[in-house]
Amino acid sequence: MTDCEVAAKPPAEVKVAPKSREGIINPMYDCQPAGAQYAGIGVTDCIPLVHGGQGCSMFVRLLFAQHFKENFDIASTSLHEESAVFGGAKRIEDGVMVLAKRYPNLRVIPIITTCSTEVIGDDIEGTINLCNRALKKEFPEREIFLAPVHTPSFKGSQVTGYSECVKSLVKTIAKKGEPTGKLNLFPGWINPGDVTLLKRYLKEMGVDATLFMDTENFDSPMLPDKSIEIQGRTTVEELRDSANASATVALARYEGASAGEYLKKEFDVPFHLLSTPYGIHNTDEMLRTISELTGKEIPESLVRERGIALDALADLAHMFFANKKVAIYGHPDLVIGLAEFCLEVELEPALLLLGDDQSSKYKKDPRIKALKDKVNFDMEVVLNADLWELERRITSGELKVDLIMGHSKGRYISIYNNIPMVRVGFPTFDRAGLYRKPTLGYQGAMELGEAIANALFAHMEYNKDKEWILNTW
Amino acid sequence: MPMVLLNCDKDIPEREKHIYLKAPDEDTREFLPLSNAPTIPGTLSERGCAFCGAKLVIGGVLKDTIQMIHGPIGCAYDTWHTKRYPTDNGHFNMKYVWSTDMKENHIVFGGEKRLEKSIHEAFDEMPEIKRMIVYTTCPTALIGDDVKAVAKRVMAERPDVDIFTVECPGFSGVSQSKGHHVLNIGWINEKVGTLDAEITSPYTMNFIGDFNIQGDTQLLQTYWDRLGIQVISHFTGNGTYDDLRRMHQAQLNVVNCARSSGYIANELKKQYGIPRLDIDSWGFNYMAEGIRKICAFFGIEERGEQLIAEEYAKWKPQLDWYKERLKGTKMAIWTGGPRLWHWTKSVEDDLGVEVVAMSSKFGHEEDFEKVIARGREGTYYIDDGNELEFFEIIDLVKPDVIFTGPRVGELVKKLHIPYVNGHGYHNGPYMGFEGFVNLARDMYNAVHNPLKGLAGIDIRQPRSGAASNGKKEAA
Repeated sequence: MTDCEVAAKPPAEVKVAPKSREGIINPMYDCQPAGAQYAGIGVTDCIPLVHGGQGCSMFVRLLFAQHFKENFDIASTSLHEESAVFGGAKRIEDGVMVLAKRYPNLRVIPIITTCSTEVIGDDIEGTINLCNRALKKEFPEREIFLAPVHTPSFKGSQVTGYSECVKSLVKTIAKKGEPTGKLNLFPGWINPGDVTLLKRYLKEMGVDATLFMDTENFDSPMLPDKSIEIQGRTTVEELRDSANASATVALARYEGASAGEYLKKEFDVPFHLLSTPYGIHNTDEMLRTISELTGKEIPESLVRERGIALDALADLAHMFFANKKVAIYGHPDLVIGLAEFCLEVELEPALLLLGDDQSSKYKKDPRIKALKDKVNFDMEVVLNADLWELERRITSGELKVDLIMGHSKGRYISIYNNIPMVRVGFPTFDRAGLYRKPTLGYQGAMELGEAIANALFAHMEYNKDKEWILNTW
Repeated sequence: MPMVLLNCDKDIPEREKHIYLKAPDEDTREFLPLSNAPTIPGTLSERGCAFCGAKLVIGGVLKDTIQMIHGPIGCAYDTWHTKRYPTDNGHFNMKYVWSTDMKENHIVFGGEKRLEKSIHEAFDEMPEIKRMIVYTTCPTALIGDDVKAVAKRVMAERPDVDIFTVECPGFSGVSQSKGHHVLNIGWINEKVGTLDAEITSPYTMNFIGDFNIQGDTQLLQTYWDRLGIQVISHFTGNGTYDDLRRMHQAQLNVVNCARSSGYIANELKKQYGIPRLDIDSWGFNYMAEGIRKICAFFGIEERGEQLIAEEYAKWKPQLDWYKERLKGTKMAIWTGGPRLWHWTKSVEDDLGVEVVAMSSKFGHEEDFEKVIARGREGTYYIDDGNELEFFEIIDLVKPDVIFTGPRVGELVKKLHIPYVNGHGYHNGPYMGFEGFVNLARDMYNAVHNPLKGLAGIDIRQPRSGAASNGKKEAA
């Protein structure tokens, strides 16, 4: 580019607007009850009870099985026609008692509503009172927590549903007691690989913290004794003591931060909302904040890990990534975090898709404002988006992207338009083992960067497009 | 003794009526599992909903039709990317799903305008597509949106499009079965007879109740082509909307899945006098028998015998190779319903496999009559089985392999029991002669999976002689 051309280049334009269509073609998110079920299975000895038609839990269980290649226990009240007419509260009572009787270790049942039961208007709180009395009578020795989770499918999405269930579990179980000196960490809807990474960081720092929800066991083994360990690791005791922590750190604005706000309001637990730790800078901020809050030093091991990640990414950024256009879709905290990471490695996130009806919140997100100030290329943020927004732009030639980052529901856009894609987020059922790979932290940034590079490299080879560059790399 | 109350069901004793253990010399009139009955809340049943029975199983298979789901986003999201039914036009049916994305204000003020707008948008965005099925869901049924009126308005505005409406919210009926019924009856009453086909053969039929799972329909189509039979419509594997409007012109209705699609065959008989012929498309004996029956109907027996002879020559040696190695394998089948009776005797006759337990999600009484008649003594026949029951049944019958869905497959993997996808198949098609060899191969590879043997070893214990049982031979 000559100086004249540079001078003539118009300033970068950043557009943030909802899609113009009302209906949806290829959704990015599932509905609220799906997200609530995901939060529910993160708790030990917990079986969520979905109050609605059988499909509302059956297909969500299948979705989780597709992503994790594991089975999760989720029950349904099996709403049938007569309940739709006369009310279905009795089916909650039946469902709770059947679960309690047949699962002697059961300690928590989130009762998750759906569109049908919210329209019918079943009295969930009143029914829970009835159930509690019946449980006390039947099982005087047991304490079973029933958490009301109002998640009508016609509001929000799986993202808000997740948040709603985390909050309800905390509200139902948290109880003032002796201070624990521990940190509450709400990381949001993340994979077991990221849970393992965060727990390792905390351990290396010597920080005593509790992760809500601890989904590490969602990657579960085949053992010689044939035992089945697939359930969340967050316990009733941990939820109870969330009220007695020294502070709460939330790593996802839209996924569980509301529980931290509740703990602050109700139990005066100091609350810190951080940017989701995608990329180097966000990870720096997380570690520094945790260090400040706990007085624990950031150890040499993490300084080295940071260095290794930078060293690896430096091999990729200006040689292979610079000026490559990226489209990103998925959960809002993920999409924004990945966009921030892209900027660090010189990728250009040209299109960000955020779904659902929470546009007014996304518009006010300081991270989106910061992105707007930062970018020196045209960027579009589509709110209330669906995947057709991406497909239409690509097939019409309106947008040219070099890379797609998102979950498996958009796989056909990549396949049929010959665009390399890195699967990230939920669900990623068309790639093996991704739930085990970290995407957060320094290691996650490095592994994501390498996944991007390898996707681009494979694409160069399949298309015989300057694949010889790699002869000497 | 015949009806069984499992230990895990002691607190829900009504489950006894749903589980039958077949014993010698019994009268199934007395011992038929109760089926198509409401599910007990909280049992962790395997059932889906009526909406999915219509959209996911039947309507969503069509290769040229927009599936507009009038409701909140989940019903669309959840019935997308959960099936393996390809098409010969680039899998339009699996790539897309459409939703009106209902919000609270539509619940309060009605969603008809939203639906109308969404329908127009969908046709505008995909101008080459002219056909649509609109489905109601739980909330849109509860608020009483008149989707038929909306469809009429759109069709009046857009004369080149045709829209069919299916009103079966998730809560209707007790399982996906209700959705099959609603779609079948709606289609025959509203759409069959509204278009005519070009007749190219003296022998015409509809092939009903086959959904092109991993190419089943396309494999069987090669048989019909070789026999010179024109298939007017496939209900609904690799099918088109307009072909299904021409069903009235066939001379014969051949039914594979009698549960999901028997209704429309019955109506075609009643309304148009077209005879119904039920066949089983899985298994050598059954497939040959089905071809013989069809050919006998048309008076083309010789062609049929020639086809069967050719197929046997090509595939029977491979089947027998697997039979030799699968003989005595204990198999469980936990699927929707009909595959229980389609498979139990065909795996026994063709492969020497013993089916020791079967569970049906949505089968009716007639399905259990069939499967108990065809199945073995000492085998459990279960309606709407749930998770704890599965564990207990596994302990009782110790299957070598389970044909079931991927989620339950992941569960039994922990018990070192391999699964084969009984819904979408591992590597199908499974219908027809070639298909049954595929099934046999997948079962062989599952049963002889070396990892299964390794999983049982506790490395803390001294080495034992019992090494991996995954002895495999080159097929």
